[in-house]
Amino acid sequence: MMRVFARIAPPLVFGAAMLGVWQAVSAILANPELLPPPRTVAVALIDLLLNGDMLDDIISSLQHLAMGYGAGAGLGLALAVLCARFPLLMRVLDPVVELFRPIGAIAWIPFAILMFGVSSSVPVFLIGYGALFPIFVTTLAGVRGVDAGLLRAGAALGASPRMLVTHVVLPSAIPHVLSGARLSLGVAWAAMIAAELTGSDSGLGWRLFWYQEFFRMDRVAAVIVMIGVLGVMADLLLRGVRRAVVGWSPEDQHAR
Amino acid sequence: MRADRLIAPVSLLSLLVALQVLVWLAFPPGLVPSPLGMLRATRDHVQDLTLPSAIARSLGRVLAGFLIATVIGLPLGLLMGLVPAVARAVGPFLDGLRAIAPIAWIPIAVLWFGVTGNAAIVIVTYAAVLPLALSAYQGVRLIDHRLIQAASMLGAGPMLRLVAVVLPGSIPILITACRLSMGFAWGSIVAAELAVGVKVGPSGGGAGIGQMMAETLFTRRDVDTLAICMLCVGLVSLAIDYLMRSLGRTLSPWTQ
Repeated sequence: MMRVFARIAPPLVFGAAMLGVWQAVSAILANPELLPPPRTVAVALIDLLLNGDMLDDIISSLQHLAMGYGAGAGLGLALAVLCARFPLLMRVLDPVVELFRPIGAIAWIPFAILMFGVSSSVPVFLIGYGALFPIFVTTLAGVRGVDAGLLRAGAALGASPRMLVTHVVLPSAIPHVLSGARLSLGVAWAAMIAAELTGSDSGLGWRLFWYQEFFRMDRVAAVIVMIGVLGVMADLLLRGVRRAVVGWSPEDQHAR
Repeated sequence: MRADRLIAPVSLLSLLVALQVLVWLAFPPGLVPSPLGMLRATRDHVQDLTLPSAIARSLGRVLAGFLIATVIGLPLGLLMGLVPAVARAVGPFLDGLRAIAPIAWIPIAVLWFGVTGNAAIVIVTYAAVLPLALSAYQGVRLIDHRLIQAASMLGAGPMLRLVAVVLPGSIPILITACRLSMGFAWGSIVAAELAVGVKVGPSGGGAGIGQMMAETLFTRRDVDTLAICMLCVGLVSLAIDYLMRSLGRTLSPWTQ
């Protein structure tokens, strides 16, 4: 009981203090357009959720995320497995990957707008591009970093090449794949907001821009809060998947 | 052996040739950067100094934001590492803030700091401060506890322990933290300037690389210049990475 209290109390106290500071500053400024007080933001958030457009925005953002992340992570995974299998492909692709990897997803926004116009293809493309590299790099490292001793032991015990892949290579690569998936999701999430804000006509990021144009700062703040909540939830989800799938692995202990 | 070394240049070269052929075939029109056009665009923009000065202004903003971020983030992370209650209080909020993409703050940053470039600095600061604080925290936690215990057994007070054990011990991780967050800062500058700059009229006084890309996109639709800007974004992030790595080797030679 005491221990639970000691764990929960500090964040609660800090959170209350932050809310207090926010409330005090907004009361001193007395300008709800410049800094809406917490209560106004909470009311705006509930209002948007119950009878506003926020659910539509969340759904279109999640659609962008699902399409872009599915394509980008899938491509990264497939490329990594192919590159590990065929070293020649790796050598051909490597310089191209090294050329594009330092160019962050966000630098592609103008080009994506030029290519697709202002549409939901821009966030989908950006999310896919952002998700591609982290998962490619970590998966490749995971597949290549398989303990050679385990492979030899498997072969010595008579495992077929196919069994080696399913019973040795895949299990030891999965922790890497999952940490790559989590990294990718973080990058993709940031890219999604940036792309929606600058080059899309739907989604949470676009809605920020929209409410800014109407100078509804309470709603801008409400959307920002919602972006944070969804981002935390997505991260928790992947962490849960990770714990369920690879709780056993030694990599998991320090990767967590 | 010689043939192996040829693979990388051949791969890059064939990419360039493929682009050029696509341009000559005019497919899709105006969307594919041509290598020859990129050379011409580089010459033009370097000669009239638009490209170097745009990069310099963006770098200035990144540096300013990064310096503000170190002043906030490093002490916060150190404090979190030294005082567990602070870590418990602040940790969940940092995790929550991390889920809010830097770009989401643009409407509020523009409202508070105007469109003159200060808003971009704020975004960059935000992008850099969280990774700095979190890795400084990790750095302090990963210090060998026996060293601290040995120091206190030899009579070192808390201040001496901090200066002589904790700070030197966390230098390698602090350097890594700086490298990573500098990368984040540079990665978000383009979007910040893009989102801020589109509204001011991009050719205004303090145009950085993001504003230059916005202008190229919206007023000239010049895909060659856009590609050059993207390559420069990538090159600068490689250069930052390289500089920070060599700085790390100079400051903490014992890690090699």
